[in-house]
Amino acid sequence: MTAPPLSLSQQLWRRRPVAGAPVAHGASDHLKRSIGTFQLTLFGVGATVGTGIFFVLSAAVPEAGPAVLVSFVLAAVAAGLSAICYAEMASSVPVSGSTYSYAYTTMGEFVAMGVAACLLLEYGVSISAVAVGWSGYVNKLLDNLFGWQLPQSLTSAPWDATPGIVNLPAVLLIGMCMLLLIRGASESATVNSIMVLIKLGVLLMFIVIALTGFHADHFHGFWDKGLAGITTAASMIFFSFIGLDAVSTAGDEVKDPQKTMPRAIIAALIVVTSFYILVAFAGLGTQDAAEFGSDEQAEAGLSVILEKITGGTWASTILAAGAVISIFSVTLVVMYGQTRILFAMGRDGLLPSMFAKVNPRSMTPVGNTIIVAVATAILAGFIPLTWLLDAVSIGTLVAFITVSVGVIILRVREPNLERPFKVPGYPVTPVLSVLACAAVLYGLRWQTWVVFGGCVALVLLFYLFWGRRHSALNAGGADGYIPTAVPGEDDVMFVEEPKDHHFVTKHKDEP
Amino acid sequence: MTVAVGYLAGKSGRSPLYLGAEAARTLKTSLTVVTVVPRPWMTPSLGRVDAEYAEYAEQLAANSAKQAQECLDSIASGLEVSYHKVAHRSTSGGLLEAATELEPELLILGSASEGSLGQVVVGSTADRLLHSSPVPMAIAPRGYRGSKAGGLTRITAAYPGTPDTLHVVERAAALGERLGVPMRVITFAVRGRTMYPPEVGLRTEDSILEQLAAHARETLAQLKTDGVVGKDVELQVVSGNGWDDALDAADWQDGDLLAIGTSPVGGIARVFLGSRGSKILRHSPVPVLVLPG
Repeated sequence: MTAPPLSLSQQLWRRRPVAGAPVAHGASDHLKRSIGTFQLTLFGVGATVGTGIFFVLSAAVPEAGPAVLVSFVLAAVAAGLSAICYAEMASSVPVSGSTYSYAYTTMGEFVAMGVAACLLLEYGVSISAVAVGWSGYVNKLLDNLFGWQLPQSLTSAPWDATPGIVNLPAVLLIGMCMLLLIRGASESATVNSIMVLIKLGVLLMFIVIALTGFHADHFHGFWDKGLAGITTAASMIFFSFIGLDAVSTAGDEVKDPQKTMPRAIIAALIVVTSFYILVAFAGLGTQDAAEFGSDEQAEAGLSVILEKITGGTWASTILAAGAVISIFSVTLVVMYGQTRILFAMGRDGLLPSMFAKVNPRSMTPVGNTIIVAVATAILAGFIPLTWLLDAVSIGTLVAFITVSVGVIILRVREPNLERPFKVPGYPVTPVLSVLACAAVLYGLRWQTWVVFGGCVALVLLFYLFWGRRHSALNAGGADGYIPTAVPGEDDVMFVEEPKDHHFVTKHKDEP
Repeated sequence: MTVAVGYLAGKSGRSPLYLGAEAARTLKTSLTVVTVVPRPWMTPSLGRVDAEYAEYAEQLAANSAKQAQECLDSIASGLEVSYHKVAHRSTSGGLLEAATELEPELLILGSASEGSLGQVVVGSTADRLLHSSPVPMAIAPRGYRGSKAGGLTRITAAYPGTPDTLHVVERAAALGERLGVPMRVITFAVRGRTMYPPEVGLRTEDSILEQLAAHARETLAQLKTDGVVGKDVELQVVSGNGWDDALDAADWQDGDLLAIGTSPVGGIARVFLGSRGSKILRHSPVPVLVLPG
């Protein structure tokens, strides 16, 4: 490609056009305004209650002590505010709905790359960390059921506190998810609901059993760790609230979004937060805050607590089994997310085009999926990432701040843009959202900032040297696509609308 | 050469006969109705109970032939029709045997009777043959009663765009040329199902579909550039939320035939239907021709 005639700053700030942003046919007939508050709330709860709560306590409680309950509230407020801002962005910018595309359409290519870096860090770390957490629960389950565990050398990374060779279960999990994604498998709505029930069920069981071993004494010295401890814990906990934004992106399908959206976001947030706080409260009542950080509880922490209370293994077996099943599905979903973000970047020309290549046989981006799987498997298998769990939060928080700022920018720049959903209390809400996210960010450890800075710098360097020369916007295609040069292509008819035509008779699954 | 139709009285209705008569007429060849009956025991038994069984099998074959004849008399006048009986332990095995013996141009089966009318439903017999037939197969939708035009009016080849399936297009084109019917090539692009990871959005599969469709358009256009198909062949990329949607979206007409290919397995040229092929098959509203890889 020849050198673009644009100046560097023009390149850095050029935006992907909002109008004409592609919305493929597939969306049209499945985006019916059919979702009400209740369904949307369940959707939000389902997308949010993930793996976080299964291992976040062992990291967060030692930081904040019993005041970790306050950290949960802080994280919840930040998550809720940003989800509301996200909802306005999703309703006013009709692109695929990722923070990356929002940044691209509102703040330009350079910022988009920065957000992309956040997302890559967030997803990469969370896939690996979640896989490692899964490995802990699998081992716990094997131990409880068969009295046999995988040897230490096969369940720990070489640089873990207790070094091993490779974290085999984590690598296997990522491999399985890769195969499923390549085959085009997905978690259906039904499976998703079952997973939500499993997760909430085991958490409820934990709460009930843990409350039987409750001692108020464990709450002594509630504020001992101070504000710093609380924000540090909140920044780790924020990880377990990620996913709430799924509610926001459902905008097109929601009946009366102006009312439904904030209600659903707040309702989902209340449900999720109460579950989390109850789990933390019940857990804190059973043991001293310091014990949460013990080696024994670093893996499969909730199971271990249950074992101590009941004195038997049945409850911990059930919890471990629930965790194994639900973490599997979470890994699948998160890995899917990672591949789709890389896909979008490949399509926009900011990554090599192989990331945007769809295999015609499986109809999925195969090469992309394999690259993601190999990279995350290496991370999960060999590098102890649990200490990096807050790197997931940092990526998300920065991305959310970008979205909140984007809302303000878009209101100023294009005040007349049609917005099916508007942030209530503008401009206070987006500002509060930025502040809340910043407060949570403030608690992060310096190591996390270093990793984050390194990651962003790397991606931006890549952009400066490669991406900006290959961006699809260079080619002048208004909708960001490189026109193909195959002669005769115009002969190909593209059937867009499913026509209500039946040769013999209707299919039975049609009304 | 002949066109073979698997038919058994009381099974799968008369739709294969209609399709068979049409095919034989179009291909200007004879029609053979194959009936598989249970094979009686070869060892003589006490009290000759097996004789009764043999008689029953005989009866079954005769009944089937009679019924087929009644039906064919009204729709296949002027066609050379013969009846072929195979005694075999399994229906599919018997049909395979007949296929090797008669070497028909085409083996036609009907849909199983549990689906809805107008839909191709693969029964256990067809399923086995779709994974082992040495000759091309055609499956009639349930309740198929022939086209109003009285024959084939168009051949539609489903082409996924992979090099190993190019043979479907080539063979369908050759067939279309031989029979003088228009042809179209369709690439189906089916939208994947969305999951809900954070910060990715719900419409991410649309961009995948779009990319898939864009690529499919190029591959299809390449067919004309390479001269695989003629200039007047219709090329379509049909997308949908699922296979049912996509198959519905492809405009079908009276007398359409959908040709799909199978990938070669184990180096033997035979029909071996893959997972995507069977999805297309099951949602097709028109008779489907399955070509061996």
